[in-house]
Amino acid sequence: MPTQDPKGTYNGVSRRQFLRRAGGTAVGLGALALSRPISKAAAQGASPYTEWIPANTKAPKRGGTLTRASAWDPPMLDPRLTQSVGLYQFAGLTSNRLVRYAFPDEASGAGDMSLKGDLAESWSASPDNRVWTFKLRQGVKWQNVAPLNGRELTSADIKYCFEAYAKEGVQTFNFKEIEGIETPDKYTVRLHMQTPNVFVAHALAEPISIVFSREVLEEDGDLKKRLIGTGPFVLKEHTRKVRAVLRRNPDYWDKGRPYLDEYIILMTPDDATRKAAFRAGQADFVWMASPSEVEAIRKTNPSASVQAYHNSAVFFGLAMSQDKPPFNDVRVRRALSMAIDRQKQVDTVFEGHGILGWGVPYMYFQEKPLTAAQFGPWWQYKPAEAKKLLAEAGHPNGFSTTLFYYEYWPQMTSQVQLVQAELKKNLNIDVKITKLDYTTYYGRYVESKWEGLCWGFQSGHAVGLDERTYQYMHSKSTKNFFRVNDPQIDELTTKLRQTPDPKEQRAITKRIVDREFDQVARLWMPYDNGFIVAQPFVRNHASIALRRTDGYGSPHIARVWLDK
Amino acid sequence: MYKYVLRRMFLAVPVLLLSSLIVFALMRVMPGDALTVLMGESGNIGEKELAKVRKDLRLDLPYYQQYGLWVWQMVSLRPGDSLLTGEPIAVSLRKAVPVTLELAALAMILGLVIAIPIGVLSATRQDTASDYAGRVVAVSGLSFPDFWLGTLVITFAAIWFHWIPPIGYTSFWDSPWKNLQQFLVPAAVLGFRLSAATMRMTRSTVLEVLREDYVRTAWAKGLGGRIVVYKHALKNALIPVVTVIGGQLGVLLAGAVVIETIFALPGMGRLTVEAILYRDYPVVQTNVMLVAATLVTLNLVVDLTYSWLDPRIRYS
Repeated sequence: MPTQDPKGTYNGVSRRQFLRRAGGTAVGLGALALSRPISKAAAQGASPYTEWIPANTKAPKRGGTLTRASAWDPPMLDPRLTQSVGLYQFAGLTSNRLVRYAFPDEASGAGDMSLKGDLAESWSASPDNRVWTFKLRQGVKWQNVAPLNGRELTSADIKYCFEAYAKEGVQTFNFKEIEGIETPDKYTVRLHMQTPNVFVAHALAEPISIVFSREVLEEDGDLKKRLIGTGPFVLKEHTRKVRAVLRRNPDYWDKGRPYLDEYIILMTPDDATRKAAFRAGQADFVWMASPSEVEAIRKTNPSASVQAYHNSAVFFGLAMSQDKPPFNDVRVRRALSMAIDRQKQVDTVFEGHGILGWGVPYMYFQEKPLTAAQFGPWWQYKPAEAKKLLAEAGHPNGFSTTLFYYEYWPQMTSQVQLVQAELKKNLNIDVKITKLDYTTYYGRYVESKWEGLCWGFQSGHAVGLDERTYQYMHSKSTKNFFRVNDPQIDELTTKLRQTPDPKEQRAITKRIVDREFDQVARLWMPYDNGFIVAQPFVRNHASIALRRTDGYGSPHIARVWLDK
Repeated sequence: MYKYVLRRMFLAVPVLLLSSLIVFALMRVMPGDALTVLMGESGNIGEKELAKVRKDLRLDLPYYQQYGLWVWQMVSLRPGDSLLTGEPIAVSLRKAVPVTLELAALAMILGLVIAIPIGVLSATRQDTASDYAGRVVAVSGLSFPDFWLGTLVITFAAIWFHWIPPIGYTSFWDSPWKNLQQFLVPAAVLGFRLSAATMRMTRSTVLEVLREDYVRTAWAKGLGGRIVVYKHALKNALIPVVTVIGGQLGVLLAGAVVIETIFALPGMGRLTVEAILYRDYPVVQTNVMLVAATLVTLNLVVDLTYSWLDPRIRYS
């Protein structure tokens, strides 16, 4: 019982003694931690990991459950009302598109952007590229779930779905380009476009162009709760904030596929928890942003397979209110560009595993990623010339401006602060930074009434050439968030969508990109490449450029199998 | 007693009304709205379409009408639907409330199981090694933020033991063992913080009571140490402790927001944070009112507990 009497005299360890001992222990532990050598790979930012994992040559094994801890959770299941990656991380598995991009096990490499048939076996365009005919696969059945009960998919379903997309929701703009739809027989769909467009098949291959069922929309009035398609997996359960469970569709038209019995997505908002889940074997693959993170995880999971993700374009850059002074002056935009050291961002923020930043995927206009020299003179780090150019533009003493952003990930804040510091140091431009929550940021950004600067984005849900050129750069496009207003770019992007010859397409795209760089129409910032890390028994999970298997590239899961 | 309870309930009405006005106004003052989220990142919705959605969601009504409508919905216990998901809020709450309740209850139990005995031990062995150890634990509990401790626990559990609590949520009635696996660790993290404040208060008040005349009398009568401390001293020392515990309930609910996110539990915390981020007005407003009503009720319960702990206290 008490060794203490009520008067408070002590008979144990004194406070001073205790603090001395505890302090000594803490200092010792701290010194021990600090004395750990910094790993060479992290310090140098080198990535020893492969950029492409080719298809496994062994015969696929059937069965098993693939599990992933996911950051995203869709607010609803209606593909007409959301383009959220949370939905498309599994909507592309419950449903098909007319055409699709190549899966990893049939692609020649990470940059392979070739189209394959999905619900359509073949497709062709009229000579003027205004009428597109799609021949459907015969014998494709809707999933054997009420109210579809496994009935056959016909051309009428495609017509109904596309008309519904055009009528309401976030895809209205794209589908309104279809003037009319004909269904001459059960297996033929003919699209009449309002204007010539050679990229119709590409647009329909985007992950968001899935075909949904008429019956569910008619019964429920929307598609918020049920997602029934023709895809390789049936959505067995979606409990918000908990999980999505997908079960193999036994009647899938692509016989023998998918290989997995189940794919489970665990809604896990915290990044550290997702990584812990991978370490503990509760998740089979995970996204990592930096080489040091991969290195850390390889210490506990040395046999994990790692793919260094191959980004072929970036999604974020400095958007300038170029419809207003001072950013309507090209000299100011060029000065800003030359005052920012992008390579430093790649080396420090992304540990060397990142790209300098451009907006149109390079494979649309050249074979290899851009080198620094290919950006042209205005994209080289030359602070003295930048200062001179800004003075010529009438701002010898700099000016003050604002920049708002939303922190999609922590590295973004470092980038914003580096830009702020360099603009101050090199051009005496005072940038007042405002960090916003997502909803405020997004609302302000797309409303396009902001002034100054913004850390802008182009969406990740669509990867086609038309999307990356006309949709994001034409002055009349609703997605022209960077407020590009250049007659040459307008002319070139319009011409591009009327040019069927791939060689000519590449040449025009190159001219668009060169013009964009010359005018500094969009001030792209470096972007990480990241890594897909998987348990050693996961096969055929590689990600293709712009389509990560854990995100919009989810249809790849149909080809994944477990070697255990 | 009944009159006192009735008076307190009556006084709760203006508190709740004021809370409702504050949360309603704050949500409208915040920039952005749920429509921008519903639009996704398409940028493809025209003004006409936006106006239609705004009308469907009744966001086109003047503020006073929106407020009146909402208050009526709350009073009639039909809080409406989520703007974001379209799900009835009552359904969302039916899913989320049990999760947070279980987490909070377990955290409270674990917190008190740790706090009271260590607090008493610290007091009865003042300035010994065990007292210092107890105080270090208490100060650590107050100093370590929940998000840091939670992240540390889950990361090091994965590194050292290749184990973390099963991600997700399983109802206790579906699988008690899995449910406990999912809840014990987060509850311990949450309870650790709660235990810290309680531990310190227990130590102080027990120390104070141990110096009282009646305790000295008890010692003089030759009563055993256990009886003196636990029967005579502790009960009288508990009133301030209960006050602290009452105050900690708010901290517990706030901590649940972070802990639910780290341990991927689908409770009230995550529901509310998501609703705030996406400006899902009805969900935020309903959740805040639910929490406000809970805190008002718990404070009343805490006050009523005083009379049980100290029969000299009478409510009339």
